[in-house]
Amino acid sequence: MKIGYRQAFDKTFTITAGLSVFLMVMALVIILGPMLSRGSKAVFFRGTVEFRKMQLAIFNHGSSDQVQAETARVEKAREPVYELLENFQIGIDVELLTDKTREIYRELGQQLRQMDVDRETYAAIRAKAKDIRDTLSDILESTDKDYVNQGIEVILKLSDDPDFKNTVAEQFFPLARMYGENVKNIDLTQRDQYIAALEEVKDALRKLFGPLPGESTPPMPKDRYGATRWDTAQQSLHQLLWAQAWVETKPGESLEKISVRRDDPQKGQFAGTSLEPLFSLVENNLDDMLQPEFTIYWRYFLDDWVNSHYFGGVGSEIIGTLLLTLLSMMFAVPLGVISAAYLVECADENMVVKIIRTCVNTLAGVPSIVFGLFGLAFFVLFLFPRLNMPSKPCILSAALTLSILVLPVIIRASEEAIKSVPQTYKEASLSLGAGRFRTFVTVTLPAALPGILTGIILSLGRAAGETAPILFTGAVAMGPQPKSLFDGVKTLSYSSLDIATGDRLAMMAPHKQYGVIMTLIILVLCLNILAIIIRWRVAKKLRGY
Amino acid sequence: MEDNQPQEKPVTQMETQSPVMEKILPAIHIKMDNQKQVTSGTTQDKATCNRCGIISSKEFSFFYGNTCGVKNISMDIYPCMVTAIIGPSGCGKSTFLRSINRMNDLIPHTRAKGRLEVNGINVYDKRTNLVNLRQQVGMVFQKPNPFAKSIFDNVAYGPRLQGIRKKSDLESLVEQCLKDAAIWDEVKDNLNKSALALSGGQQQRLCIARALATRPKLLLMDEPCSALDPLATTRIEDLIEQLKKFYTIVIVTHNMQQAARVSEWTAFFCLGELIEYDKTTRLFTKPGKKQTEDYITGRFG
Repeated sequence: MKIGYRQAFDKTFTITAGLSVFLMVMALVIILGPMLSRGSKAVFFRGTVEFRKMQLAIFNHGSSDQVQAETARVEKAREPVYELLENFQIGIDVELLTDKTREIYRELGQQLRQMDVDRETYAAIRAKAKDIRDTLSDILESTDKDYVNQGIEVILKLSDDPDFKNTVAEQFFPLARMYGENVKNIDLTQRDQYIAALEEVKDALRKLFGPLPGESTPPMPKDRYGATRWDTAQQSLHQLLWAQAWVETKPGESLEKISVRRDDPQKGQFAGTSLEPLFSLVENNLDDMLQPEFTIYWRYFLDDWVNSHYFGGVGSEIIGTLLLTLLSMMFAVPLGVISAAYLVECADENMVVKIIRTCVNTLAGVPSIVFGLFGLAFFVLFLFPRLNMPSKPCILSAALTLSILVLPVIIRASEEAIKSVPQTYKEASLSLGAGRFRTFVTVTLPAALPGILTGIILSLGRAAGETAPILFTGAVAMGPQPKSLFDGVKTLSYSSLDIATGDRLAMMAPHKQYGVIMTLIILVLCLNILAIIIRWRVAKKLRGY
Repeated sequence: MEDNQPQEKPVTQMETQSPVMEKILPAIHIKMDNQKQVTSGTTQDKATCNRCGIISSKEFSFFYGNTCGVKNISMDIYPCMVTAIIGPSGCGKSTFLRSINRMNDLIPHTRAKGRLEVNGINVYDKRTNLVNLRQQVGMVFQKPNPFAKSIFDNVAYGPRLQGIRKKSDLESLVEQCLKDAAIWDEVKDNLNKSALALSGGQQQRLCIARALATRPKLLLMDEPCSALDPLATTRIEDLIEQLKKFYTIVIVTHNMQQAARVSEWTAFFCLGELIEYDKTTRLFTKPGKKQTEDYITGRFG
């Protein structure tokens, strides 16, 4: 019976242990999985022709011939869309039409002067043209459909006038005809609404295909290209197809937000207009217009960002993080190991040492933002000016602050490692006539190295991932790579914070936000693996087999 | 004579060394004198040697805090002999042994009283050069404790501390010491292998070789065979037999048979006091004290 109990206990213990390990792994998967899978979208995605255009223009990656051929192909596919848009715009954009009318009239005057006609004819033609111009202007301003139709009829009657043959004035008639066509299906009283809706459509089209033909190059790189990714293209397509509207469903109740397709036959904004076919055209031919291809954007880890992370990669952040981490380790490791050696080897167990040890332990639990403020106050504002160094946040102050942050971890780990070196090793060395310092350097330190490396591994990950200590002491969101110790540094941790809080970028390009986090995770993992390999090799050398 | 032969080698080697080296290595020269005396010596010389102790302690006491480790030890240990220290656990054998090269300094709050001399130098004098002392007094520990370095580096550790940097010198010295420690044949092909890859017995012999490499006059052995199997023990004992021609050996052991086998003199310690110190043959056959007799016959302890 007793043995039965024991076996039951034994089994329970095994199961509990296995379960806890499983739970830990699951927790890790649950925490890291979504981040990595979302972040991987920054590298693996369906890139459109716009992406390839952008890569070629900004980073000079990819073959220019291929991109040109693709651009020609998609432009051909997009042509009907722009045509539809332009035609519709003629009916809506009154100001544009008025301008055009005036221009035609002006050009006619110049043409007539050059044609060397006599004065009377000139005056007659001008008067007639002026009539047409005025009528057109009236029509364009009017919201009365009948009036518009009458006016157009009047103008079109003049189209056979021989005086206008072969002059610029002929252009009046197609303009008038087209306007008449367009206006047929438009409620002229709602012209303003059309204009607003048209702006939305144009905006969505810009997001899909880049600047509309004839528009000047936008100043922001992110506006120069359309949807570079298939998933953002889908979002923009949705924006193009669906209009949001606030509708009163029942009188007296609050308004409800509904989505209506813009080309919906009954309720759609553009139902029955000449723009109606545009939506289905874009929807059905988006593939041809964007040419999506599966892309592995491995240069994400090398490229610099463009337009605050909207395009490009995190290359400069990776370099900055590595620089900062290694620099802080350069300060923290020697200091930590020497402190640990002093605490173990030299110091007696007196009150002072006990206080020091307590302080070190307490320091390990201090919130990291406190270190950040300390770094700002001590290094940047107090120490640097007194050493005649520029008193501004820089990579040096950030590294120093981080090194203070990880110092307790290194001291604790090194202390334990040095303590655990067998006394007989030291005795052997001492009995051969070595001094204490030499014994420590040649015997104790090599034997304690794996333990010390463990502390370094722990602190490496911490230093690479910390944001708060470098927030005030040296991290910058933009700017060039640091050229000296007194420049700011871009890091992955700070970038992810900046993307999340800085502007709407996190919403516009979530893949970039998660991409930065994924890169940070991978970087820390790689650093750890590297350190573990080094530790393994050292331990193997110490073991001897 | 075959055993003596290799010893000639370092002598000639040392003689050809630069004056600077001589300054650095006073210990070696003392050793050299000793060696010459021994190698050229007759039994008569050895007898005269025996009269003056290389280690002499007078009223020596050692304290851990307020606890007494050993008290009032007065004994002389004679050169070129094996002296065994036996006694029950906690009787101060190791404390006394480790006092000779001041290994007890590592333990905080300890102090010594009385006089302990090695080769005429007061060990517990503040002016004593610990490095010199420890180079004259080699030590082999209870557990084999080779450094986590190659076999060669283990043996060369001591000579390097003394300033010998020349590769050829080091190589010949290491070979000599490994031969003296009777391990050369087993490791000569892989001197660059880690010392930790050796077996326990081999490691212990390597530690002996390492201790010999500083050219000490004295070899302290703190239960060198307690962690070894009988076969390895036999080898170490054979080694002690050979080494005693050139070195003064003090060995602490729990094994009375071992003490009887290898030593010429035996000291019996009990409760921190030296009970009896005599020639081994006499101590084991006709012990002068009741306590000793009880201990060696197994009635006590």
